[in-house]
Amino acid sequence: MSNQLIQIETPFQFSEENQQEFDRLIQRYPVKEAAMLPTLHLAQKQAGYISPAVMEHVAELLELPVMKVKDVVTFYPMFFEEPVGKYVIRVCYTLPCALRDCKLVLEHIKQKFDIDVASETDLAKGTTPDGKFTLLKSECLASCDVAPVVMVNDDLYKNLTPEKMDEILDGLE
Amino acid sequence: MVQERRILYEHLDVPDINTFDVFRQYDGYKRFEKAIKEYQPDDICDMVTKSGLKGRGGAGFSTGLKWSFVPRDIEPRYLCCNADESEPGTFSNRYVLERNPHLLIEGILICCYAMGISTAYVYIRGEFTLGKRMLDAAIEEAYQQGYLGENIQGSGFDLDIYSHPGAGAYICGEETGLIESLEGKRGQPRVKPPFPAVEGLFHKPTVVQNVETLCNLPFLMGQGVEWYTSIGRTYGDTRFDPPQSDPNTGTKLYCISGDVNEPGVYELDLGLTAEELIEVAGGVKGERVKAVIPGGSSAPILTHYELECRLDFTSLTLWKSMLGSGGIIVMNETRNIVDCLLNIMKFYAHESCGQCTPCRWGTPWVRDIVQRIADGEGRQTTMQRPKFGIAEGGRWGDTGEMEEVYEDLDLLESVANNIANVDTMTWNTICVFGIAVSWPAVSYLRKFRPEFEAAIREGKLVTLPVEEATVPPEENYAYQQRIVPRLFEAPT
Repeated sequence: MSNQLIQIETPFQFSEENQQEFDRLIQRYPVKEAAMLPTLHLAQKQAGYISPAVMEHVAELLELPVMKVKDVVTFYPMFFEEPVGKYVIRVCYTLPCALRDCKLVLEHIKQKFDIDVASETDLAKGTTPDGKFTLLKSECLASCDVAPVVMVNDDLYKNLTPEKMDEILDGLE
Repeated sequence: MVQERRILYEHLDVPDINTFDVFRQYDGYKRFEKAIKEYQPDDICDMVTKSGLKGRGGAGFSTGLKWSFVPRDIEPRYLCCNADESEPGTFSNRYVLERNPHLLIEGILICCYAMGISTAYVYIRGEFTLGKRMLDAAIEEAYQQGYLGENIQGSGFDLDIYSHPGAGAYICGEETGLIESLEGKRGQPRVKPPFPAVEGLFHKPTVVQNVETLCNLPFLMGQGVEWYTSIGRTYGDTRFDPPQSDPNTGTKLYCISGDVNEPGVYELDLGLTAEELIEVAGGVKGERVKAVIPGGSSAPILTHYELECRLDFTSLTLWKSMLGSGGIIVMNETRNIVDCLLNIMKFYAHESCGQCTPCRWGTPWVRDIVQRIADGEGRQTTMQRPKFGIAEGGRWGDTGEMEEVYEDLDLLESVANNIANVDTMTWNTICVFGIAVSWPAVSYLRKFRPEFEAAIREGKLVTLPVEEATVPPEENYAYQQRIVPRLFEAPT
């Protein structure tokens, strides 16, 4: 990605279904800019990540300069500016999970896929070469009673051990 | 043995309580109907003020008072429900959203009716995908049943509720950060004043309330103020003469995690001691308690000497800590406090929004110092200096003794105190994130100093036995300055 000097991208368009969803969203707010986060979520769901083309399209829809969209995308950790795996694994690493050995789960996933933990500036090092998994450390996921917890895409898995984690990851296609 | 008093969580485990029909069987929306039929909006505001309900999000600010700041002549006004539950150790809102979303909708209805609001946004943190799905489904159902939309139940009152997803930023739990984020910008808190009650979302008067606060309203409406104030403790605020009442009424959803046998959410009366609470959660896992974080990771830590402290808004404030969001994290004798602080400081260094320089630079600096100490590279000078402390006559001053200087510990306290000073309670930042960083940093250091010193001296993390790791009560700044609040007696 980053070592390419010129990036040629196809323009991004919402699918028909998502365009309808967007038209519904935009009516909720008195100013268009307020629909930013839900729109970006929608776009990321369709495109996988927020590429410059996506930002341009969102900016056009919300009638904003592209810079404003970029500004927001860079602020929030849930938006990715680079391609990520099909499954994004977020291992909660804050104190209550740390007290319950989330480290074992994290280390296990690292070894299993032979990857590092992705950082916000370098997602590639935490992504498996086949583009299936991306491993991220996450801040508190608000499920401390069933720690340690891991989110895989939209699903939360509780009371994890390395063995349970294996079962879950092996079950994903 | 203390019994749980389930009010908000009473029907949480009823199958299908998330559907309108089942919720309706358990008095659902009947309290809202009572509100629109029997009360004028101002009566409800009065009731909330009299009930002494305090905001459950963290600051513990009186809800009735907050509502009274909202100008009634500016239209439109907005309600933002804060469901951006991100304080480490807190997980009570998640269960409400996932299992009983209609209760929240009923709370929002009552609040909006009282305030004359016709648009409410529920800001749900991005990770709560299931919670958002459940809430969206419940909102849809409420529209179909005529409890949302225009002219609700023929009362002439209109309300639209929209859910709005966050995107993983902790700072969006701060009310003005939340508003900025809702407006589609970076979630950087605003300078206050103007407070959101006067100028908030889209520059209009805005009420921002936590999920738990709003969920209290249906029960307050249904069972009345007298019933509500009979739960919990009311203290006398002796700064006034005669003492004014300082209510800590109602129940609190205490989230207990860490080293306890049965972690979970326990709904209990406000005002139980930390000891009782650990008991309720099945006792400590391991030999004994080393430390307790009483209100989410931002709250100053309590040592095992301070477990008699009552966990309510007033008591904890007077013990130099805070109830915050009610996220209680228990640590047993095997835990290393330096390691725990490192974990928390990594969290804050990551989550600083970057708007104010002291916080943007200070939080990573604090993290790096703690990291250095944890790695065994903490700096220590060989110099000795006069030891300051409680001198003869009980006053702070030169004790006549000498002490060793641990350069990094001084630096840690100095950097943290320059983000926000925990002694004077002043901060050099826009929002209270600063104090949320320096509170843990300074309190861990001052209350568990021997463990920090040992890590620097030995060049590695050393977990000391509980007694040795903890500063004795005589040297504990918070314990020395604590005030035990007295129960309120109505002036005769």
